[in-house]
Amino acid sequence: MKRGWINWDQTELPRTAFDARLAAARRPDLPAVVVYTDIWRSNRVRHFSNFMPYWNRAFLVIPRDEPPTLLCGLSPRVYPWIRSVTILENILPSPSLTGRLLQLCSERGWTRIGALDFTRFPHDLHSSLTGIEVVDLSLEIPPDDAELAMHRHAAEMARGILAEEVPNGVGRSDHEFTGRLERRFRRAGAEDLVILLTIGATPPLPPRGVTLSGNFSISLALEYRGHWVKVVRNAAGQVQPLPAGAYKETLAGPYPYESGTGPLFAARWEMANQGSRVFYGDTYRATPAGAELL
Amino acid sequence: MLNQDRFTQLTDLMADRGWDYLLLYGHTWRKDFFRCLLNLNFSGPHAVAALTRSGELQALLSDPWDAESVTVCPASTDFHADLSAFSRRGGRVAIAGMEMMEARDVQLFPGAVSATFDVEEIRRPKTPRELELIRRAAELADRGYQYFAEVIEVGMKEYELVAEVEAFLKTKGAEDNFMLIASGGVEVTGMKPPTDRAFQRGDSVTTELTPQVDGYWAQICRTLVLGEPNAKQRESFAIFDESQKAAEDFLKPGVDIADVARVQNDVFRKYGFGEYTGSKYTRVRGHGLGLHCDENPYVLEDVHYPVKQNMTLIAHPNTYLPLSGYMVFGNSLLVTANGCEVLNRTERKLFQK
Repeated sequence: MKRGWINWDQTELPRTAFDARLAAARRPDLPAVVVYTDIWRSNRVRHFSNFMPYWNRAFLVIPRDEPPTLLCGLSPRVYPWIRSVTILENILPSPSLTGRLLQLCSERGWTRIGALDFTRFPHDLHSSLTGIEVVDLSLEIPPDDAELAMHRHAAEMARGILAEEVPNGVGRSDHEFTGRLERRFRRAGAEDLVILLTIGATPPLPPRGVTLSGNFSISLALEYRGHWVKVVRNAAGQVQPLPAGAYKETLAGPYPYESGTGPLFAARWEMANQGSRVFYGDTYRATPAGAELL
Repeated sequence: MLNQDRFTQLTDLMADRGWDYLLLYGHTWRKDFFRCLLNLNFSGPHAVAALTRSGELQALLSDPWDAESVTVCPASTDFHADLSAFSRRGGRVAIAGMEMMEARDVQLFPGAVSATFDVEEIRRPKTPRELELIRRAAELADRGYQYFAEVIEVGMKEYELVAEVEAFLKTKGAEDNFMLIASGGVEVTGMKPPTDRAFQRGDSVTTELTPQVDGYWAQICRTLVLGEPNAKQRESFAIFDESQKAAEDFLKPGVDIADVARVQNDVFRKYGFGEYTGSKYTRVRGHGLGLHCDENPYVLEDVHYPVKQNMTLIAHPNTYLPLSGYMVFGNSLLVTANGCEVLNRTERKLFQK
């Protein structure tokens, strides 16, 4: 995971989008806000800076009156690459994230800072941020226009390639079909993908060497340049509008996806077809008029 | 799904330490503590395998699809609520993976202690079944690198090559693969995720492939030159080859892992490149392999740990040298009774195409 093409195309995601996002994070009563990121829990810092830690973990420090600074466990040898795909200019080597953060606070005279989702920080970091006052902040982060466009691009990529490939899956092993999709999606610019498959006796699960039948279903989680979507399809062609009891996962939280709902969410549900369990689902945007297919 | 050897070791550990409950925590990137007992490749962001001292097991998961896969014990799917309910049992609680657990979840267990060190220690020597899986992963790494060397060509972009290798490894049954890459000349100082840089004749292309089979990772590191390697690239590779071989020759039960790093670094020092063995140019000289692709102990001169039989690790003196830029060379190794077994079968050479 997280080893695909990480890129920043400024015609797609302009630098000015980050100015508005950073402004939304800043607090007049706090000299800085800290945001945590790691390999999987990458949504927040990606939102504020386009930084994606393919390895290790990091803090993004957003001072009230200055550009953001990255406290990073990665080697300075890869800082030129980080600068090429993010808005970040200030990167500080931080073998100890909290140690470096506390040092920065001391240097700047900060005695009280904000931390986004502080109670959800990893325990080792949460418990070692002592000697300063840390204010736990929560922030609703609805996707802006640029993000919606990129989520939409991801959804269209997922739907389009699955529409072409699902009919080709019947008779192939789930491993072979997964490999075929990896090639197509990654060559099309996918940064990461998670594929689950079933032939109808179980829910979709990681591939395990079974031959796909005419009732197979696939769950695809796809990341395009930091923007995740989920699409579920079945080879039987069973389609149903979003039912009230669908299982929902938010795509607008700190994780790529987790149980719950929000301004952008994935939904999935189960149907029966010739005695088999078949599955369907997609990615939706919550609007005042109800769920709208992204 | 249930690792019976680990079950016995963990319940013995609980009795020894006086713990009533042992929670093995995993999240999506670090599933290893959870999977060392309950080998389920869960999807949801969090999971706990909760073990009582009397041997009762319960899986606390996040995604209903995951729960349906659990056949050996009860499973629930409202992770935070279920963990909160579990915390009301009281008793002495230890948590493996406590450090990476969300703080709010640790706070549910005010007196909990970390079991991370103890469980890591149990996990280091691999069981026969675990070794079988790591051997399969190493074989897949070999096949993956063979494929890498076959398909790379001038003009192909880094991310396109990664797409091909990922597709190959998944087709052959890899659960996942951790892969880094770099290409170019002496200006290259380290590996990273792929870019859209197109390969050029004369490039030195470095990669580490780390396929995962049923939870267990093995790794291979090799360097390939597009075209005829120049004298400096050959000179550089000879140093890496000698350094890595020094680790293989030295490794056996009882030696200090610091000395496994030292014997590799000594080769660089012998040729006048000692400064390139430090953190400015490199990360580690190797690391453990298992249910995490970067397990403790790290192979570094300031990390002291007595090597044990049936540990699996990679020795890779990967670093920058001014001769050829960043270069990599490494093999997955199994510590045997008297030495080590090289799990990779890929040739020890500077590849070229």
